[in-house]
Amino acid sequence: MDKHPRTYEGKTEIKIEHPDMIICRCEEVTLAQIIEAISEGARTVDEVKRRTRAGMGLCQGRTCSRLVRHLLAQHTGQNFHQIPPMTARVPVRPIALEVLASLEDDTNG
Amino acid sequence: MAKKHAVIIGGGIIGASCAYYLAKSGLSVTLMDKGGLCTEASKASQGHLFLWELPPVNVILARESKKLYMQLIDELDVDLEFRPTGSMSIAETPESLVSLAQTCEQLQAIGVDCEVLDRATVLRREPNLSTHITGGASFPEDAQLNPLIVTIGLVEGARKWGATIRLNTEVIGIQIDNSQTIKAVETNNGTIQTDYVVNAAGAWSGMIADMANLHLPVMPRKGILMVLDQVPQDVMNCKIIMASGYLDSLKSGNKTAVAANIQQTRGGNVLLGSSRAFAGFDKVVNPEVISEMARRCLRFFPCLKGMQVIRSWAGLRPYSPDMIPIISDTKVKGFYVASGHEGVGITMAPITGLLISQLINNQTPLLPLEPLSINRFDPEISA
Repeated sequence: MDKHPRTYEGKTEIKIEHPDMIICRCEEVTLAQIIEAISEGARTVDEVKRRTRAGMGLCQGRTCSRLVRHLLAQHTGQNFHQIPPMTARVPVRPIALEVLASLEDDTNG
Repeated sequence: MAKKHAVIIGGGIIGASCAYYLAKSGLSVTLMDKGGLCTEASKASQGHLFLWELPPVNVILARESKKLYMQLIDELDVDLEFRPTGSMSIAETPESLVSLAQTCEQLQAIGVDCEVLDRATVLRREPNLSTHITGGASFPEDAQLNPLIVTIGLVEGARKWGATIRLNTEVIGIQIDNSQTIKAVETNNGTIQTDYVVNAAGAWSGMIADMANLHLPVMPRKGILMVLDQVPQDVMNCKIIMASGYLDSLKSGNKTAVAANIQQTRGGNVLLGSSRAFAGFDKVVNPEVISEMARRCLRFFPCLKGMQVIRSWAGLRPYSPDMIPIISDTKVKGFYVASGHEGVGITMAPITGLLISQLINNQTPLLPLEPLSINRFDPEISA
């Protein structure tokens, strides 16, 4: 089975025929916006994030972080595997505010 | 004659603003950062233009800075997500309402527009607030913008005026000649000859000052923020609501202080703050602190209980011992400091950049600089 070798080799080529294609669904960031950020000097996933909001939404970059790395590799000549993924932050998965608020009670009890 | 050259150390909002105003004034400018743009305290911010942080000198700086922001909205030709939201401070006890009213009196005396509100008025304006509150105050001059967009916008603006941006460039030494004048900045990417250096390295500015044999008592002070997924816009009518204890939390000394500070951005996300702690350069998000922040914020807005926390992060803000920023020349000719803004770096970025530009260009400064001088920390000079 070698159906999706691209994912592992980091060789996905994202064609720019559809500049309106959504790369980050949560924040509705398009391919054209990502490419613009790269052309303005963004060289890491976090830099693209700060310029476009890609990866700042509900899923925190679970889907788009990888696509952004591909785009960075494609447009800057960096090796896909050497581009670090987005910085992961607490709580990693969304949790309700009231659950977080009860944290100390749990640890004390 | 060749253009004079300035190196700005620090790619946060203060460095970006200094780079912008200096490049615009005609200097040749290099902005450098050990990492990227807007990667430290500038991104750990709620984007609140805070027009009433005491002492009075801060209020005056903030007021002039807001005027400059109004100009930057046109000059930079970027949507800074500026909104004239105003803010509200909410008291939870009769005593804290009295104390808030006293603060308002003090602020009104120096021309700050604010109004003390009784409990019924607050609850009428903000029906989702918990009914245990005792009253509040409104600050209609406060506003909101997006600090990431502002920082990057200022850097792009500086670039249009010819500035060079050098990221991943860490300063390892400052060269000073025998006449105590700046000569060059040594970095991991080579040495740059320069006429001026602006130390805008935020929490790290004390280390940069050490390299120039100067004492700058700026310390890192950690602040943690959380962001909620997009929340209905009518949860809060005023988009910036904080506990009346917020100003006191800034004077908390060594213990970790938490005060509810709830803000909704134009995109609909709710940002929850805030905490202050001295923990060296540690940027760990402490679970007990965000849990306490969650409890405090829910005390004000119980309706947020089911909303999703998607991210929390910490920034190291540059703490100045007297809570006043340092915008100053120094004993080393050509070496300037723009640091110590702690929680009001976003608010004061434009005025800081303008004052630094006026200092370097020997122009009459817009505001008196004595209260902002580094000399106030020098026992030989201030005595």
